[in-house]
Amino acid sequence: MSAAPAVTVQNLVKKYGHLVAVDDVSLSIHEGEIFGIIGPNGAGKTTTVECISGLRAPDSGSIIVYGLSPRKDRDKLREFVGVQLQESALPPRIKVREVIRLFASFYSNPLDPDQLLESLGIKQFGNSSFKNLSGGQKQRVSVALALVGNPKLAILDELTTGLDPEARREIWSLIERMKDRGVTVILVTHFMDEAERLCDRLALINHGAVVALDTPEAIAARAGGSRVRFVPSRPVDEQTLRVIPGVDEIERKERYVTVTGTGDLAGSLMNALAAIGVRVSEVEARTGNLEDAFIKLTKDEASSVGKGVQT
Amino acid sequence: MTGYRPEWISQRSRVQFAELLKVQSKLALREPLALFGGLALPAILLAVFGFIGQANPGTVGSTGLTIIEVWTPTILVLSFIFISVSLPNTLVRDREIGWLRRVSTTPLHPSRLLAAQLVIDLIVAAAAVLILILEAALVFGASLHVQILPFAVSLALSIVELFALGLVLVALVPTQAVAQPIAGVVTFGLMFLSGLWVNPAQVGDPLRTMMYYSPSGAAVRAVLDSAFNGGLSYAGLLTMAVYILIFGFIAIRYFRWE
Repeated sequence: MSAAPAVTVQNLVKKYGHLVAVDDVSLSIHEGEIFGIIGPNGAGKTTTVECISGLRAPDSGSIIVYGLSPRKDRDKLREFVGVQLQESALPPRIKVREVIRLFASFYSNPLDPDQLLESLGIKQFGNSSFKNLSGGQKQRVSVALALVGNPKLAILDELTTGLDPEARREIWSLIERMKDRGVTVILVTHFMDEAERLCDRLALINHGAVVALDTPEAIAARAGGSRVRFVPSRPVDEQTLRVIPGVDEIERKERYVTVTGTGDLAGSLMNALAAIGVRVSEVEARTGNLEDAFIKLTKDEASSVGKGVQT
Repeated sequence: MTGYRPEWISQRSRVQFAELLKVQSKLALREPLALFGGLALPAILLAVFGFIGQANPGTVGSTGLTIIEVWTPTILVLSFIFISVSLPNTLVRDREIGWLRRVSTTPLHPSRLLAAQLVIDLIVAAAAVLILILEAALVFGASLHVQILPFAVSLALSIVELFALGLVLVALVPTQAVAQPIAGVVTFGLMFLSGLWVNPAQVGDPLRTMMYYSPSGAAVRAVLDSAFNGGLSYAGLLTMAVYILIFGFIAIRYFRWE
């Protein structure tokens, strides 16, 4: 896989009046990866991608997209960046095939509209008006519009919000196929399962700043949230447990010992206890997931009032 | 090399624009607000005045013109008014739902959408002129004394002026929900000032002056003089030119794509 950055964002700042929407965001996105931007509502996710797509001018900082400036070279950028905007509708009476063909005519090297509709599973709705489509079908049309220009970079904002689970899964496999075709994807979402399933790397944004930037697994592991509950064959003193790698907190209740921490907590606990001859029973282990990390990282962030810690 | 590139761009933008016109025309046919207001309603209204005229032969006041002759220009202008107030209905909605913004992420500038819409509305307006003039002359026996050039200039200025007013509404009105009542009030005011209910020749000042120098009244005056009086209304044309400058300035100054 190529390591050349497709998108580089450095010290991006964007204010709306007194409201600081994006406060010093830096990140780089590799060519061909699915890059997730996650964060609570109002964190600055949409503003960040709107700046990357050239829809908004940053107040300061620099953005380079495939060697171009999104604002200065906006005309060139539009040719190879496909954008799916949050909450953007089409004229109610426009027909699916009509609008895909129309958009195809805007680009110099478009995909074949009919093939695209087929691959998105909406060919049978080609003659339907936009207003008569279901939420999932509308989203697929929206994705089709972002892809029909055969983009190198696709920016998808809140793609599956409001969709039923089945439609979400269909959209997910669609994005995976885009990646197979070599398209770089920026995915804005507030669904952790979506980010975990699809994204190669993630930026977690809170209060306009990047609080974590890594693979979903690494973010989940680093932020903790792993928890193991067990019953030891004989009492174990707290100091023995505390020196085991990854252990943060120990709690006892009746026969049960509950340990929380980071990484492969269950594995290291079992090994360490076996080494001192303690057997364990009634083990219940839960690995930290992205959602735990999300809640932990955004809560820490909130308590340190606004200013982000760059990761 | 240098001569090649602009040609390539214009060729491609012609293809884009043709596709855009095709889709926009289909949309216009599916939401026939401009067609109904611009063609059907005026044709019916003209017939109403035609029948009134047949029942009341003779001239209107001191104008020396029959009823159908006095009201044909009014109804022509009315058609332009209806077409122009249909502009905010579609464009404000398209902006509100994010469609214009969506288009602005593609290589097509959203101004081309606006241009396509105006071209279609212009075609509707031209069709209205043809239909209404033929209806007045052939069906209801209005006797035209047309001065071709002044007539063409009067129609062109009327259309530009009223379309510019429609674009002022598009620029200033924030949402579709507000657009409809505002367009309604504006339509009603313009209809009154155009002389649909009371003819300016039959009322006293200051109402007469207000009507003559209103956007719709000036248009009616210019069209009337060039179509039936074989003359040229400098006051009407000049008034419209001033309105075009004012409306054009406001529309350009406050127009938003998102």
